[in-house]
Amino acid sequence: MRIVLSDVIAAALLLAITAYSTAGGVDFGAGIWDLLAGRGSRGEQARELIDHAMAPVWEVNNVWLVLAIVVCWTGFPALFQAAFLNLYPLYTLALLGLILRGAFFAFRHVAGTESERGIANLVFGLSSVLTPFFFAASLGAIASGRLEPFGPLPVAFGLVSLAATAFSGASFLVGDARRHAPELVDYFRRRAIAAALALMGVGTIGLVVVAAERRELLTGMVTTLALPFVLATVVLTPLVAGLLWRRVFKLYRLLTVTAVGSMVIAWGVAQSPYLLPGRLTIEQAAAPTATQVVLVVVALGVALVVGPAIGLLLFLDQRSLLESPEAHS
Amino acid sequence: MRWLAADALLPSRIQMAFTLGYHILLVPLGVALPTLTLLMEGIGLARRDPVALRLARRWSVVMAVQFAVGAVTGTILSFEFGILWPKMLGRFGAAFGLGFAVEGLAFFLEAVFIGIYLYGWTRLPPRLHFLFGLVLPPSGLLGAFGVLAANSWMNTPGGVTVTPSGALDVDVWAALFTRALGYEFWHFTLAIYITCSFAVASLYALAWLRGRRDHYQRLGFGVPFTVGAALAPVQVLVGDLAARALVAHQPAKFAAMEINWTTRDHNPEVIGGLLDSSGHVNLGLSLPSLDSILVGYSPNAVAPGLSAFADNARPSILESNLTHLSFDLMVGLGSAGALLALWYFAVLLRRRRLPDSTWFYRFAALAGLGSYICVEAGWVTTEVGRQPWIVYGAMRVSDAVTDAPAAYVWTMLSVLVAVYALIAFFFVRLLLGLSARWRRDDTAEVEQGVPYGPRA
Ligand code: HDD
Ligand code: HEM
Ligand code: HEM
Repeated sequence: MRIVLSDVIAAALLLAITAYSTAGGVDFGAGIWDLLAGRGSRGEQARELIDHAMAPVWEVNNVWLVLAIVVCWTGFPALFQAAFLNLYPLYTLALLGLILRGAFFAFRHVAGTESERGIANLVFGLSSVLTPFFFAASLGAIASGRLEPFGPLPVAFGLVSLAATAFSGASFLVGDARRHAPELVDYFRRRAIAAALALMGVGTIGLVVVAAERRELLTGMVTTLALPFVLATVVLTPLVAGLLWRRVFKLYRLLTVTAVGSMVIAWGVAQSPYLLPGRLTIEQAAAPTATQVVLVVVALGVALVVGPAIGLLLFLDQRSLLESPEAHS
Repeated sequence: MRWLAADALLPSRIQMAFTLGYHILLVPLGVALPTLTLLMEGIGLARRDPVALRLARRWSVVMAVQFAVGAVTGTILSFEFGILWPKMLGRFGAAFGLGFAVEGLAFFLEAVFIGIYLYGWTRLPPRLHFLFGLVLPPSGLLGAFGVLAANSWMNTPGGVTVTPSGALDVDVWAALFTRALGYEFWHFTLAIYITCSFAVASLYALAWLRGRRDHYQRLGFGVPFTVGAALAPVQVLVGDLAARALVAHQPAKFAAMEINWTTRDHNPEVIGGLLDSSGHVNLGLSLPSLDSILVGYSPNAVAPGLSAFADNARPSILESNLTHLSFDLMVGLGSAGALLALWYFAVLLRRRRLPDSTWFYRFAALAGLGSYICVEAGWVTTEVGRQPWIVYGAMRVSDAVTDAPAAYVWTMLSVLVAVYALIAFFFVRLLLGLSARWRRDDTAEVEQGVPYGPRA
C-alpha cells in the first residue's frame, strides 16, 4: 500500500468529521435530552444542568465543522463541488438547525415570560435534532455513491447519528450530574443506557441497509483496517451501557467517545480509497501538491497548538477554574 | 413571476450580500474588542484600579455574546460558498481556500481562549488570566489575514496556472499574498480597530451627554477614543493608496468608483451624481481635473473609463452607481472621522484633558455608527465594483452559481432573513438587559462598596 499526501489530508478530513461527530455529538445530544426533558420540575432541573454543561465549550465545536469544510473545499475541490451541487437541500436543513440552535440557546437566557421560555426550549431542542440528522444524511448520500439527497442510506445514516448523539449527550451529562447535581445522576444514567440500546438497534438496521444499498461498503467494513473500528463500536457501546448499569463510573465517557468516533472512522476507512464510491478516488479529487502541503502544515498546526489549547480548556473546566461570568459581572 | 423561473443568480447574489453584510457587523468587535479589553485590564492591574477591571470584565461579556453570533453567521457563510457558488470552489478551491485554511487555525485558538478568558475571571490568578487573554489579539488578526487573503485573491487572482492537461497548478505563496492583500489587509485592520474603538467610546459619549461624568465614564470613553482617533487619519492615507492601486489592478472597478465613462486625462472628480446609460453624469459636484491629479499627481494623468471595457467585463450602470455612491459615502465619513480625531488631539495636547464641548460628544456619539456605515460601504465598493467577476478576469459570477432552482434560493433567503432578524432582536435585547443590570449594580455597589474584577 502506497501512502501519498492526499491520503494524509483525507485522514485529516475524516478526523475533523470524527471530532465534530463526537464533540459536537455531546453538545447536540444534550440538546436532544433538553427536548425530551418535558415540562415538570425534574425537566427544569435537567435543563439547568444541561445549560451549565454546555456554556463554556459550545462555540468551540463549531470550529471542527468549519475546519472539515475548509479542508474539503481546499483539499478536494472536486468532491466539494459534486457534494454541494447535489446535496444542497441537506446542508441547508442542517444549517437551519445550527443557526436556530445558536440563536435560541442564547435566547432562553434572556426570555422573560414562561411561554417565551417554552418556545425557546422547543426550538433549541428541535434544532439539536435537525443538524446531526442532516449532516449525517449527507454522509450517507456520499457513501451511497449516488449523491441523492433522499434515499435509504441517507435516512439510515441520519438515524444512526441521532442515536449516537443522544448516547454521547447522556453519557457526558452523567458526568456533569456527578459534579454538579448528584440527584440527576440516575436520571441521565438510565437515559444513557437506553440510548446505547437504541444505538445498537438502529446500528444493526443501518448495517442491513448498507448491505442492501452498497454491499462494497459492508465488505470494506469487515475486510480492511476498518474492522477494528467496527469491532470497537460493537463492543464498547454495550460495555458502556453495562458500566453505567452497574454504576461503575470509570472510563465511561472515554469509551463513549471511542465507540462513536470509531463508527465514523470505520465508515471512512471502509470506503477508501474512494471519496465518492465508484466515482471519485482520493487521488483523483486531490488539489495540486503545493496546496496539499499547506493543508498538512495547517493540520499539524492544529494538532500541535490547538490540541494543547483544548486540553487546557478542558483541564481548567474539569478543575472548576472556569465559571459563568454572568453570575457576577 | 419571471424572476422565479430564472436561474438562481439574483437571489444568490442578494443572499451572499445579506449574510456577509450581517457577519461583518460582528467582526470589528470580534477582532478588536479583545485588544481594548486587555488594554483596560492591563491598566486595571498596573494601577490597581477596580473601575478599569470592572469595565474590562463587562466588555469581555459583550465580546463573548457577539463571538457566539459571529461563529454562527460565519459557519453559515462557509457553507454558503458551497451552496451558492459550488463551481467556483470546484474550480479554484485549491487556491481560494488557502486563506481559509489559515483562518481555520486562527479561529480555533480564538474560540478556545475566549472561553478561558471569559470563564476565568474569578478563579484564575489575575496575571495568568491576562496572559491567556494575550493570545486573542494575534489570533484575531491571523483570522482576518486569512479571510482577506481569500478576498484579495478573488480581486487580484495570482499563483494559479492551468497545466496542459487542464488541471490547476498552485504556487502557494503567490496565491496567498496577492497584490490586493497589501492594501486590503492594512485598510481593513485599521477599519475594524477604528470601528471598535469608536463604537465602544460612543456609548460612553452618550452617557456623558446624559450627564454621567465620573471616573468610570471618563475611562470608558478616553481609552478607546484615543485608540480610534490615533488610527483614523492614517486610514485616509491607506485608503488613498488602495484607490490608486486599483487604477492598475482593477481599472474597471476604479472607473465605477469614479463613474468615469471615457478613459482620458484632465478627468474631473465627481462627488455624488449618477451615471446614465449613455455615459452622462447627472447631478453631483464635478471638480475639474481632480481625479487625474489624485491618480497621477498631474492633470495630465490618464484615468480609466468604463467604456474601455466590453459590456460583459465591467460593472453595469446600476452597479457602477452603487459602487460610486458607496465609495463617496466611505470617503466622506472617513474624512469626517479624521477631522474629529484632529479636534480631539488638539484639545488633548493643548489642555491636557478630555474635551468638554457638548458638540464634540455629539459627534463622538455618532462616530461608532459612522464607522459601521463606512465598513459596509467599503465592502459594497469592493464587491459590487468587482462585478461581473467572481474571480476578477478569470470567472464570472454567472458561471459559478449553483444549479438549484431560483425558487429554492429565494426560499432559503427569506428564511435566513427572518432568522437573522430574530437573532438581531435577541442580541440587542441581551445587550440592553446587560446594560440595565450593570447600571443597577453600579448603584447597588455604592452602597455596599464591593470591588469587582479578578482576585487581587
Ligand atoms: C472605518 C472604516 C473605513 C474608513 C474610514 C475608510 N474605509 Fe475604505 N474600506 C473600508 C473601510 C473604511 C473597508 C470596509 O474595510 C474596505 C472594504 C474592503 C477592504 O479591504 O476594506 C474598504 C475598501 C476601500 C477601497 C476598495 C479596495 C478594494 O476594492 O480592494 C478603497 C479604494 C477605499 N476603501 C478607499 C478609502 C478612502 C480613500 C478612505 C478615506 C477617507 C477610506 N477608504 C476610509
Ligand atoms: C466570506 C467571508 C467569510 C467567511 C466564510 C467567514 C467565516 C467565518 C466562520 C466560519 C466563523 C466562525 C468561526 C468559529 O466557529 O469560531 C467566523 C467568525 C468570525 N469571522 Fe468570519 N467569515 C468571513 C468574513 C469575515 C471577515 C471579512 C472578517 C474580518 C476579518 C471575519 C472575521 C471573523 C471573526 C473575527 C470571527 C469570530 C467571531 C467573532 O469574533 O465575531 N469574517 N467567520
Ligand atoms: C465581510 C464583508 C463583506 C461584505 C459586506 C461583502 C459584500 C458583498 C456584496 C454586497 C456582494 C454582492 C455583490 C453583487 O452581487 O453585486 C458580495 C458578493 C460576494 N462576496 Fe463579498 N463581501 C464581504 C467579504 C467577502 C469576503 C471576505 C469574501 C471571500 C473571501 C467574499 C466573497 C464574495 C463572493 C464569493 C460573492 C458572490 C459573487 C459576487 O457577487 O461577486 N466577500 N459580497
